[in-house]
Amino acid sequence: MELQLKGSVIVLTLNSTNNGVTSGWEEGKYYSEEAEVDRRDPGRDYELYKYTCQELQRLMAEIQDLKSRGGKDAAVEIEDRRIQSCVHFMILKKLNRLAHIRLKKGRDQTHEAKQKVDAYHLQLQNLLYEVMHLQKEITKCLEFKSKHEEIDLVSLEEFYKEAPPDISKAEVTMGDPHQQTLARLDWELEQRKRLAEKYRECLSNKEKILKEIEVKKEYLSSLQPRLNSIMQASLPVQEYLFMPFDQAHKQYETARHLPPPLYVLFVQTTAYGQACAHMKSSQPPRQDKTLSVAIEGSVDEAKALFKPPEDSQDDESDSDAEEEQTTKRRRPTLGVQLDDKRKEMLKRHPLSVMLDLKCKDDSVLHLTFYYLMNLNIMTVKAKVTTATELITPISAGDLLSPDSVLSCLYPGDHGKKTPNPANQYQFDKVGILTLRDYVLDLGHPYLWVQKLGGLHFPKEQPQHTVIADHSLSASHMETTMKLLKTRVQSRLALHKQFASLEHGIVPVTSDCQYLFPAKVVSRLVKWVSIAHEDYTELHFTKDIVEAGLAGDTNLYYMALVERGTESDACSSPSSGKGCHSQDVKYRTLLPLCSPCTHLGGIESCDSSQLSWHLIGQGFLLEPPRCCLWCCHPAPALAAKLQAAVVLNPGYSSIPPVFQLCLNWKGEKTNNNDDNIRAMESEVNVCYKELCGPRPSHQLLTNQLQRLCVLLDVYLETESHDDSVEGPKEFPQEKMCLRLFRGPSRMKPFKYNHPQGFFSHR
Amino acid sequence: MERAMPQAVPLGQMEVFQALQRLHMIIFSQNVSPCGKFLAAGNNYGQIAIFSLSAALSSEAKEESKKPMVTFQAHDGPVYSMVSTDRHLLSAGDGEVKAWLWAEILKKGCKELWRRQPPYRTSLEVPEINALLLVPKENSLILAGGDCQLHTMDLETGTFTRALWGHTDYIHCLALRERSPEVLSGGEDGAVRLWDLRTAKEVQTIEVYKHEECSRPHNGRWIGCLATDSDWMVCGGGPALTLWHLRSSTPTTIFPMRAPQKHVTFYQDLILSAGQGRCVNQWQLSGELKAQVPGSSPGLLSLSLNQQPAAPECKVLTAAGNSCRVDVFTNLGYRAFSLSF
Repeated sequence: MELQLKGSVIVLTLNSTNNGVTSGWEEGKYYSEEAEVDRRDPGRDYELYKYTCQELQRLMAEIQDLKSRGGKDAAVEIEDRRIQSCVHFMILKKLNRLAHIRLKKGRDQTHEAKQKVDAYHLQLQNLLYEVMHLQKEITKCLEFKSKHEEIDLVSLEEFYKEAPPDISKAEVTMGDPHQQTLARLDWELEQRKRLAEKYRECLSNKEKILKEIEVKKEYLSSLQPRLNSIMQASLPVQEYLFMPFDQAHKQYETARHLPPPLYVLFVQTTAYGQACAHMKSSQPPRQDKTLSVAIEGSVDEAKALFKPPEDSQDDESDSDAEEEQTTKRRRPTLGVQLDDKRKEMLKRHPLSVMLDLKCKDDSVLHLTFYYLMNLNIMTVKAKVTTATELITPISAGDLLSPDSVLSCLYPGDHGKKTPNPANQYQFDKVGILTLRDYVLDLGHPYLWVQKLGGLHFPKEQPQHTVIADHSLSASHMETTMKLLKTRVQSRLALHKQFASLEHGIVPVTSDCQYLFPAKVVSRLVKWVSIAHEDYTELHFTKDIVEAGLAGDTNLYYMALVERGTESDACSSPSSGKGCHSQDVKYRTLLPLCSPCTHLGGIESCDSSQLSWHLIGQGFLLEPPRCCLWCCHPAPALAAKLQAAVVLNPGYSSIPPVFQLCLNWKGEKTNNNDDNIRAMESEVNVCYKELCGPRPSHQLLTNQLQRLCVLLDVYLETESHDDSVEGPKEFPQEKMCLRLFRGPSRMKPFKYNHPQGFFSHR
Repeated sequence: MERAMPQAVPLGQMEVFQALQRLHMIIFSQNVSPCGKFLAAGNNYGQIAIFSLSAALSSEAKEESKKPMVTFQAHDGPVYSMVSTDRHLLSAGDGEVKAWLWAEILKKGCKELWRRQPPYRTSLEVPEINALLLVPKENSLILAGGDCQLHTMDLETGTFTRALWGHTDYIHCLALRERSPEVLSGGEDGAVRLWDLRTAKEVQTIEVYKHEECSRPHNGRWIGCLATDSDWMVCGGGPALTLWHLRSSTPTTIFPMRAPQKHVTFYQDLILSAGQGRCVNQWQLSGELKAQVPGSSPGLLSLSLNQQPAAPECKVLTAAGNSCRVDVFTNLGYRAFSLSF
């Protein structure tokens, strides 16, 4: 059988269909096609199906063929073929059923799987949601802010240092920041508790003290009337004992009526005076003698100034009306009116402040400060009194005059112009040209006075409201007071010096003696003050005027130094006796040494080598003489040296300036003689070596003495004209290393102190 | 209104001192830089100021360009003399000669390059140096002054090679005869001595004051200035300014000038001289006074002719002396302006 060849299953099937129908049905009790489906391979079924279809086609084709042929045995053949076809159809049917069963089975499986997938998906969704929720929770936790973070805890080191060990528990908390924070919080709580306790204590304490104060206040207020009565009773005692406590009190009372600038001045000067006294000694402040302040003037008048404004307004309108009337009626009174107006404008406040500044030598500078109410400036009048009566030299006229004693205390502050720019407009109205004409009467409106009163005037714009300022006053107080003192002292020193200068004596103090040789022959014969105009007209002062060093605030003097006239001790053709009397005079007036000391000068400079050296060099041109007084020949011509002196008010910090003119064999000035120029530069430029001990009040006299020495050197080193017969006019007595030096043939003007010789600078 | 007052500017202590210093300033020496554009001036305070001639002479010159570009303290004492080599400025005064680099001076950061002191015999007072003279042929510098000798310094090694003796008082001035290596020196002793540099010997002495024509005993014997041009020599000082014929050592022309002269120089066919008095004098060789050009200083000590070929626009005559100003003459006819310390 062909079918059996196709495979066992089919064979089985065919067996069951062909031979074993009975057996098949017998078995059919438990036969199930579903189970068969599982056992069969679908691929093979497909092959079988294809094969069956082909067989059917073939059989059909054979039947067709047989039928068409129509043979005898055709019917048998066809029958055979039909049976075969039927079998094949059976197979097809069977296969069809199997296919259905398979389909159904597949559908069931798919469905089952799908349901499973759905279930899993749902589960996944749930899980994801859960994850999300948890994450949210976590971030919420992470973002949680605890209250304790806002608490400002003590620092870690401090905590471990201060907290008791039962709180800090260092061994636990050191490694664990959480525990540490907890411990710190505990400590904080502990501390706060303690502080709260303390606070409560303090509050109760305060309460207690307040109560005490209340009680004491009551006591004090009951004391006031009693004290008043004691004060009243003590007044006569105070007066009797010269204890000006009450007076000071009264002065303060009066000070209340001072105008603001004067008040500032009063307060600041009083304060400065007290401060100075404190610094100097432990004396009580009121006993200070160097600075005393007082208020002068009528308090009632000052009070009257503060009358209700309506009255004054009325007055003014009245006066205005009157004014109009008068102008209508009488024209010639215009000038008088203007005068009145000027007076009104320049009116001073009725109160003034007196300031007495005492110097070391008991001389006193009295300053009176006034306030010009309408001009809003302050003025000062100065007066100097000395302990002993001064003989006033003629040339010292201006030195202590109230007009000039304080001029240019600060550079350029000559006190002749109003410092308040607003005043100029006021002056224009009443026809005042300048305040300069009134300063003698009113006092000088120096800038420093305004500053002491706390008034500050701007340079550019006129400001109508200038407020008195304490700090401005205080900042200028010390320097100004010091300047005032030095000014007075230097003026007094000059005053004294001028007295002797006028007598032809240059006073050289012993501590400046080393600056000059022992013997100076040239003498000062004249010392007079000259006017500024006269100074500018001198022919040899042009340079100084052009250099701007000759302002009109300076003081001007003329000195005349001479050598070789009758006043010269040695030149007088007198006998030895007369000479000695002159000698005595010299010794008393000037601390000159005996005639032979200049010789001793060399010997005393311990190196005898020096004189040897000098002689060896051939420099020592004239051997020192034994007696200088008597060996001089009588000079034929007197040498007169005029010196025009500019004395800056800032003397002695600013040096006096000398211009020289020598009358000897023609007129010699710095224009035609280099050595005169050098002499000027010696006194003017090298003035610092002539200052002497601080505060260098000796400068002017030292300069004059130096001038005498310079003239000596100039005359003695003048080269001798060989062609003229006779000895030198001024024999050389000064020791000089060389006579001339340098291209301009300078003479040896520099004096070397211990050795006593002259050299070039 | 307040009257305008003829008030000088208020001066403080410092300003007064500076004003006095300026007033008593003496400019002893001046020298033109090798480039011809700058002028150095030394004063009695030991300061050297450098002026820019080209800036002061330019058309847009302002007041500031007449002030020094640089001022520096060079010596303790006065600066009596200065000369320039092609790179250095040499200055001398109080016994020492110091060298400064021109390039550094102009850059305003100057430090002295070196300083030398001639071997002096005395120690009591350091003698001053009044005159410096360059001898280009030998590359040496001659110094003369207070110790009455001429010291020769080799510029290459900086050593003092020889000293020439002869003067009996200090030396004022030196002059070089270009053709033969001979140097003239004039001093306080009234003699002009001629030295041969090859043999280091004195070859000729003219004692000017002994000649009656030019001696002026009331002024002294000193010779303050010297200049030479081959066979001719002009000298002045205490004696009158005189033109000498060197070979015959006779005075040929005596110039009628009363004031002692401190500086004299040949310029083309003229002789320029200056001294006491405000003027720069111009003389014909015949003794005729050609012109007197007034300057701003009461006395002059030095004249300087800027003839550097490098800067023809700066060809000027400058004169300085007893003031803080250096007068500049653009032509010989008049004073154009003054440079001022």
